[in-house]
Amino acid sequence: MRVDFPFFADLANYWPQIVRGLRDTILLSVTITITGLIGGIGVFALALSPRGLVRFATQSYISLFIGTPLIVFLFLLYYGLPNLGVTLSPFVIAVLGFTLNVSAYNARYLTIAYKGLDQAELESARAQGFSLFQVFRLITAPQSLRMSVPALTNQAIQNIKDSSIVFLIQYIEFFAQMQEVASRTFLFFKTYLFTAFVYLLLVSVVVLAARRVERKLAIPGLT
Amino acid sequence: MTFVEILLTLLKGAGYTLLITFSCAATALVVGLGIAMARELGGAWLSALLSAVVYVLRGVPMLVLLFIVFFGLPGIGLDVPPLPAMMLSLGLISGAYLSEVFRGAFAEVSPNEVLAAQSMGFTRFETLRVIKLPQMIRFAVPGIVNELTTVLKFSPFAYTVGLPEITKQAMALVATTMRGIEIYAAIGLLYFGIYRLLLAAVQLIEKRYSIPGFAQE
Amino acid sequence: MALLEVKNLVKSYGDRNVLDGVSFELEEGEAKVVMGPSGCGKSTLLRCLNRLHEPTSGAILFDGEDVTDPGVDVRALRSRIGFVFQNFALYRHMSVLDNVALALRRLKKLPRREAEERALQELERMEMAEKRDAYPAALSGGQSQRVAIARALAMDPRVLFFDEPTSALDPIMVREVVTLINRLYLDNVTILCVTHDLNLARHISDRVVFLDRGKVYAEDRIEHLLARDADPVIDEFFGGED
Repeated sequence: MRVDFPFFADLANYWPQIVRGLRDTILLSVTITITGLIGGIGVFALALSPRGLVRFATQSYISLFIGTPLIVFLFLLYYGLPNLGVTLSPFVIAVLGFTLNVSAYNARYLTIAYKGLDQAELESARAQGFSLFQVFRLITAPQSLRMSVPALTNQAIQNIKDSSIVFLIQYIEFFAQMQEVASRTFLFFKTYLFTAFVYLLLVSVVVLAARRVERKLAIPGLT
Repeated sequence: MTFVEILLTLLKGAGYTLLITFSCAATALVVGLGIAMARELGGAWLSALLSAVVYVLRGVPMLVLLFIVFFGLPGIGLDVPPLPAMMLSLGLISGAYLSEVFRGAFAEVSPNEVLAAQSMGFTRFETLRVIKLPQMIRFAVPGIVNELTTVLKFSPFAYTVGLPEITKQAMALVATTMRGIEIYAAIGLLYFGIYRLLLAAVQLIEKRYSIPGFAQE
Repeated sequence: MALLEVKNLVKSYGDRNVLDGVSFELEEGEAKVVMGPSGCGKSTLLRCLNRLHEPTSGAILFDGEDVTDPGVDVRALRSRIGFVFQNFALYRHMSVLDNVALALRRLKKLPRREAEERALQELERMEMAEKRDAYPAALSGGQSQRVAIARALAMDPRVLFFDEPTSALDPIMVREVVTLINRLYLDNVTILCVTHDLNLARHISDRVVFLDRGKVYAEDRIEHLLARDADPVIDEFFGGED
């Protein structure tokens, strides 16, 4: 495809808002990746609770969020919370909704990794005198996290792509800005193609970073 | 509106949701299988090209691709109706993910059986069809289930191109009744119900077609 | 007063008594082996002593204190017992040195330098000091077991528990581990070892506690037990040995 100078000249008119949009997409993606990871570890810890009721509630939460569309939950928050008198900005709603959703997925990945752990190591840690919390912090969590790195980095990539849906709850990020550009210039095809290309670029950056992280965190002698 | 009236309206959308899900799933299976088999049979160039295609499809947000197909293509002369637009976006992307599932599953097929087939004189294509494919499918089941449920979870976006599925019905209802919490909670549970039904259906099919002694996990 | 006194220990699962009134004593500096046919309850016994499994009834006196009492600090108890598992159970995401030093740093709260020095001492005792930076996956079975023993010794335990220490090893490695545990025995380390390996029992203990179906069937010196070939249960287990 020939480099289309007139198109880019057109884009240049909207450059400030495009950059703003890009910034907001990156801001949202990074935020939910972090909160989703922390939340995921927390939910994972709950899934290992010695109390059956806690485990059951946690598994139900995980099942529910993995089994329903993210956008429906975002709508629930966006259109539903005002009925309860709670008004939150679209950004906060997005972070809240995404965090609950992504935490469930991350917790699922961590519990899958947990099943592959050597239970004898955990028994040995208890026998040494470590508390349940210490066993989790020193053995269970580090091993589960390091064994889940591919799934967790995949989730980070998914977060970037999923961030494109928040325009539906009025959070104006990159995709929303590009939609406006498209409707102003009437160059729908080229504009959206460019949009796809930018997302591909963002994703590629994370893919490269993820490979390095995977190499660094792999447990020697495993995988 | 009464609760029953609300439920009926939502169920009207369910028909479309299922139509969209099955159409996109079918597309994904065809595309995914096609790509995976082409990579098994093809030479280095074809594999590299398909690899790049898969990478791009996995790196682009589904909504963006949908907009390219539905809003962009008309600009260069191609008018795509809503359902085919979904199939060309959600279907293609899921197809790319499925091709990776199949690629991994092909790698799990026992190399000895392949060697045995080849020494019996089967061509590459025949080996693929008779030995690799049947076994590969069974290894791929968890990945297929995962991807198909993902298709279901992306089906709501069909409303942006006008398809009146569950979420569209819900949005209309909320606009008139202002009962956002109940309605969106209801469709959340509705989607969850469909999700569990799909899972159960697949498990049933798996049991019926399982090979004795071919245990997984 | 013995270091460890077990009185009528019962452990039941449902209506099955895995341990059915086990009693024995272990003096400080003594080494005893627990043997018996499969299902006799020997592994469960060890795990009841440090309350990894909760005893159903009975008393366990450790240094005079009844550790079955609910008010007991179980974690403190466990840090006084060095436990060596059948499959080594080394923490695979940590180096050998970190494995041995972990409890010193996190339980005894020693600073890193001190903990590592102490850990190196035990590794040297087990002749594994040069592998300090290796990861468990790179070690052989015998090497892993030696690191596991070093890890257990690092906390200066009152007693070492062994749960089938040689069952996962091939014959050559068995010999190296038996030699090492024998050295500990000669150093008067208090040892309680569960095993079915007669050779190991001979080299590391004075007396054998013979369990059968959850009860102490006999307790005696090994030679005496082996001589009792008129006894059907004992003969069945040792049958043909010596």
